[in-house]
Amino acid sequence: MLEIKDLHATVGGKEILKGINLTINSGEVHAIMGPNGAGKSTLSYVLSGRDGYEVTSGSVTYQGSDLLARSPDERACSGIFLAFQYPVEIPGVASATFLKTAVNAQRKFRGEDELDAMQFLKLVREKTKELDIKDDMLKRAVNVGFSGGEKKRNEVLQMALLEPKFMVLDETDSGLDIDALKIAADGVNRLRSPERSALVITHYQRLLDYIVPDFVHVLADGKIVKSGDKSLALELEEKGYADIDAA
Amino acid sequence: MNTLTALAQTYVDRFETALVTLPGKGDRNITTLRKSGLEIFRKADFPHKKIEDWRFTNLSEFSKGIANDTTAPGAEATSANFDAAMEIVFVDGSFSKVLSKLDNLPDGLSVTSFADELGKGAVLSLNEDEDRALVALNTAFMQDGFCIHVTESTAVDIPLIIRFKNTASNTGRHLRNRIILSENAKLTVLEIHEGSGRYFSNPMTTVALSEGAELNHYKLQKESTDAYHLALTEAEILQNAKYNNFSLSIGAKLSRNELNTSVLGADAESQLNGAYLMRGKQHCDTTTVTEHKVPNNTSKQIYKGVLDDRAKGVFQGKIHIHPDAQQVSGDQLSKALLLSDFAEVVCKPELEIYADDVKCSHGATSGELDEVALFYMESRGISKEQARMMLIEAFLADVLEEITDEPIKDFFSEQAADWLAEVADRNE
Repeated sequence: MLEIKDLHATVGGKEILKGINLTINSGEVHAIMGPNGAGKSTLSYVLSGRDGYEVTSGSVTYQGSDLLARSPDERACSGIFLAFQYPVEIPGVASATFLKTAVNAQRKFRGEDELDAMQFLKLVREKTKELDIKDDMLKRAVNVGFSGGEKKRNEVLQMALLEPKFMVLDETDSGLDIDALKIAADGVNRLRSPERSALVITHYQRLLDYIVPDFVHVLADGKIVKSGDKSLALELEEKGYADIDAA
Repeated sequence: MNTLTALAQTYVDRFETALVTLPGKGDRNITTLRKSGLEIFRKADFPHKKIEDWRFTNLSEFSKGIANDTTAPGAEATSANFDAAMEIVFVDGSFSKVLSKLDNLPDGLSVTSFADELGKGAVLSLNEDEDRALVALNTAFMQDGFCIHVTESTAVDIPLIIRFKNTASNTGRHLRNRIILSENAKLTVLEIHEGSGRYFSNPMTTVALSEGAELNHYKLQKESTDAYHLALTEAEILQNAKYNNFSLSIGAKLSRNELNTSVLGADAESQLNGAYLMRGKQHCDTTTVTEHKVPNNTSKQIYKGVLDDRAKGVFQGKIHIHPDAQQVSGDQLSKALLLSDFAEVVCKPELEIYADDVKCSHGATSGELDEVALFYMESRGISKEQARMMLIEAFLADVLEEITDEPIKDFFSEQAADWLAEVADRNE
């Protein structure tokens, strides 16, 4: 589904990713762990196409075609979803409007009819009920005045509505208590299927108790330095990243 | 004798002819008034940048007369539809009975043409001095305008629409308007300024609100993009009265919306709000002066501007609290959103406070669209252009919320949305 080859990327002229190779097949969940500053978030932004994250060499192929040539909204419409570490507040834009616009933009891209207000409301009620999210969140401006937990739930709700093919979770566990963490993980697990893949970026092993990965990679200084199965995460939890940095 | 600018000279040259054609001709008082206006204007000429209030709005191109060359092709017609039950229409500065809808006015509301009143010898003067040359010019050439009066305790519950339709002309449209609300009267008016080609509109409006009166005064400035619109509104607000002004400025090559309010009674309120949406090389100046002369009253101002291309916005807002005006609150906020690296905004808030027990605030910000918010929206599948539009709408939303009349709020929101759609179409 996604193939990253020798990916180099700079931010503000400084090289952060220094040759990443990673293949993720359909249905697989990969975790990327690593110390702060290793380039974890940079990788998530490069995949989603954020301005200022410049790919200097290498390639990313998604569903058989060049991902890097597409604009951020085209990537989203073709099924890539980035759950933000720090979801962005958008004053003046109601959550419901934001969600409906996004859902319909993606439907339009796929050549499907756009949902009208009633159809959208029905869909969103279904999802909020499943995820135990209060409807009143929809009336509030996107993430404005939301607690850390509410912001992450909002990310999960967006994921549930947009049903992406490839999910990138950037430190989704940061700032969450255990209950919120379970809800977030539950949201991701609901979407797991043989047709979907995910890249879970995290500093701690904790999240991986709830979203169990097929593969675990360690990112250090812009490169994947070690790969393994879920036991690698437990090993890292025990020994820390010190050994890795030395490697 | 100083040398006048080309345009000022044409006014001076034209004056004697105008005297025998303009309303009130032959009336000695009116002729004297017009002559005194012309004399002040002749000494002052058009405002220039050496006058402090006009530092940021340069009329030199205009006063040279180049901008008024009607032989050059002018901008396309602008118009705005609002379904009106009552409407007074002025075409090229003169009242049009045919186009107006004034047959079924409610009891207590009178709407007349100022030209008719001038014809009967009525005089409506404003303070003129050399710093107010446009007022003096208006006095010399005043041709028509609306005169509105609402009698005591009459609440008019449908809005009165006032429409000014302008076409290309090398003479200005010098309107003299008046709104008088007697005690506890209530009224909502919506001015629509629209037109085609090159022209100069110079409307002067006085508002007098007696005790307990309430006026919602809306204005859509959608003049032709080749037009000059230099407007002045002065309001006197007595005890318990509320003046609520909202201006949406979209049109004109260069516009200035000058608003002076005097808060003259306890529990009186002056609200001046507005939005301006400018692109190309448009220039929009909002200049307000709020005078608090007595204790216990409030004033509020919120202005929001969206500026694209090489457009320029100017906001000058002054709150003046006189020595006796204790327990007054005055708030002012001006925000501008710059969509292009070449767009510009100048904000000059001024608080002049001579009382010691008052609550005043002012704020001025200018900024660009939030790049992080844009990326967040794009990462959900929303196109960059649509995301930009949503953020601009969100920026304008709270000031539009200040409009209390729902149909007018919808109308202004549509006008803003149309403007945004045009900007989006062009960018795509």
